[in-house]
Amino acid sequence: MRWVTLGRGRFWFWLYTLPAILYVAVWRLGPALYTAWLSLTRYNIVYDTQPRLNHLANYGALLHDPSFWASLRLSVEFAVIVTTIELLVGAAAAIFFDSDPPGRNLLLGIFLIPMIMAPVVVGTVWSALFDRSVGPIPYYLAVFHGPRIMWLATPQSAFFGLVIADAWEWTPLISLLLFSALQTVPREHLEAARVDGAHGMRLFWHITLPQLTGMIVVAAGLRLMDAFLEFDKVFVMTGGGPGTSTQFVSMYVYKQAFNFYNMGYASTAIVALLLLLAVAYGIYLRSYSRMRMAAGA
Amino acid sequence: MAPRRRRRWWHLVGVALVLMWTLPPFLYLMLLSLKPERLIVDPSRLVFWPTLARYHDLVVSNLGLPIWNSTITSTVGSIFTLLLAGLAALTFSFLEFRGKEILFLIILLPRMFPPVTTLIPIDLMLKTLGLIDTRTGLIVLFTGFQIPLAMWIMRIFLDDVPRELAESAALDGASWPTIVGRVILPLLGPGLLSAIILSFIFNWNEFLFPLVVTSFNAKTGSVAIMSFAGGYKQLQWGALATLGVVMTIPVVLFVLAFRGSLVRGFTAGALKG
Repeated sequence: MRWVTLGRGRFWFWLYTLPAILYVAVWRLGPALYTAWLSLTRYNIVYDTQPRLNHLANYGALLHDPSFWASLRLSVEFAVIVTTIELLVGAAAAIFFDSDPPGRNLLLGIFLIPMIMAPVVVGTVWSALFDRSVGPIPYYLAVFHGPRIMWLATPQSAFFGLVIADAWEWTPLISLLLFSALQTVPREHLEAARVDGAHGMRLFWHITLPQLTGMIVVAAGLRLMDAFLEFDKVFVMTGGGPGTSTQFVSMYVYKQAFNFYNMGYASTAIVALLLLLAVAYGIYLRSYSRMRMAAGA
Repeated sequence: MAPRRRRRWWHLVGVALVLMWTLPPFLYLMLLSLKPERLIVDPSRLVFWPTLARYHDLVVSNLGLPIWNSTITSTVGSIFTLLLAGLAALTFSFLEFRGKEILFLIILLPRMFPPVTTLIPIDLMLKTLGLIDTRTGLIVLFTGFQIPLAMWIMRIFLDDVPRELAESAALDGASWPTIVGRVILPLLGPGLLSAIILSFIFNWNEFLFPLVVTSFNAKTGSVAIMSFAGGYKQLQWGALATLGVVMTIPVVLFVLAFRGSLVRGFTAGALKG
């Protein structure tokens, strides 16, 4: 539609738009570009008054930094594990919600609270549940003669504890997305297949699942990227420890920047992570569109 | 009738499972916040005479300050966000110009890349401006964070406004500000509501930035939790739990009151975010 009728209208339009654009440019896009520039400099705010260009020295150092690679591996492992769990549990919950249980909307609302509440509080809740002095989990394990696990105090169990907390927080998101996809599956297809004698697993496998694949891929992609950069819960629950056993990439960047004050080097790590994410995202988009083409959509 | 009854039984199991998945952590947090100090390290005691002492402390001592900071900065931040993003979304919905979709994408782009990317420059910028550890600094940040999301939501709602209404008002000689105020704004209630609720919740939950740019005066609720949880965690579980409960109350209220529009808004935001 054209706004010939407005005459001087364009003036108002731009007056209205400019503040938002300027704001995003100054506070979001500008800083992102500045990070890219910082990544090429030596800038330890304790020693250096100004960022000094050292070209690609940071990138060289990063490539040979074993703790960076270790944190990268941890983050990838964490992202893959939590996404798998959340997809399985989330799909089950979505199918349940799709079957129209009584009080569905209220129940869905309650189910969604963990993902809407502050991640820091989620971290606090789970630290309390796992805590040796106040936590019910170690207590009841002991009462029922279960295994004695020092939840957040040993490397493996701390990682596992974070996985549990993350599954609790983010399974609802996957459920919500899959549920909204399930709601769009045409009832006629299900009816037709039922008339043809399909039911139970077969019905799900041949009619429902193909309709869900798109959303499963979207949801998995979302969670993988988010979990890869998980920070809040790690900071609250383990602080990256014990040792560096839960030092995921965001924690690594945070420590470089705000414990060791290596702003330049931390920026390099950030840019490297962004590049990795961009590549992953590219592959993801390509395979996603190829999959859709194959599905004939 | 048999299959129907089986289905109902199945539903009850499902409802119980969902509640058992979601609720116990909340209940335990509440329990912890109400437990008298001398019983707190005894996980076996689930029944006791509750104490409201910690909630009382939160109100009268300076422990309440972080909650107040969170409330002020999140609210003012989301109002500014809505103002800037709403006005800009008008252009993107109503005006045709070359490169519109690309410009829109560039504005949405910051939502795609993770917040850490801008953390260091923003910290340096706020230091230069002398806004470290001030509520103003946080408001400035929060305003910027949610603009892309709010613009996205507002545009979806604006695209549904019938063009004929605006056009006939324009033919009658109304200027653009008048059309916006008199014709478009009254139709936007639900859109404004979901945009402001979502921005508020995201601001309220924000942790990384307040952690870095505030220390004492402007410390938000989520940062304050860290001052109890950091280091040796045996300290002050009760106060920690109380703060956690208080931080969660607004979220729970919002969810229960607006679950319909929230579900829609979240699905849209999540898909693009």
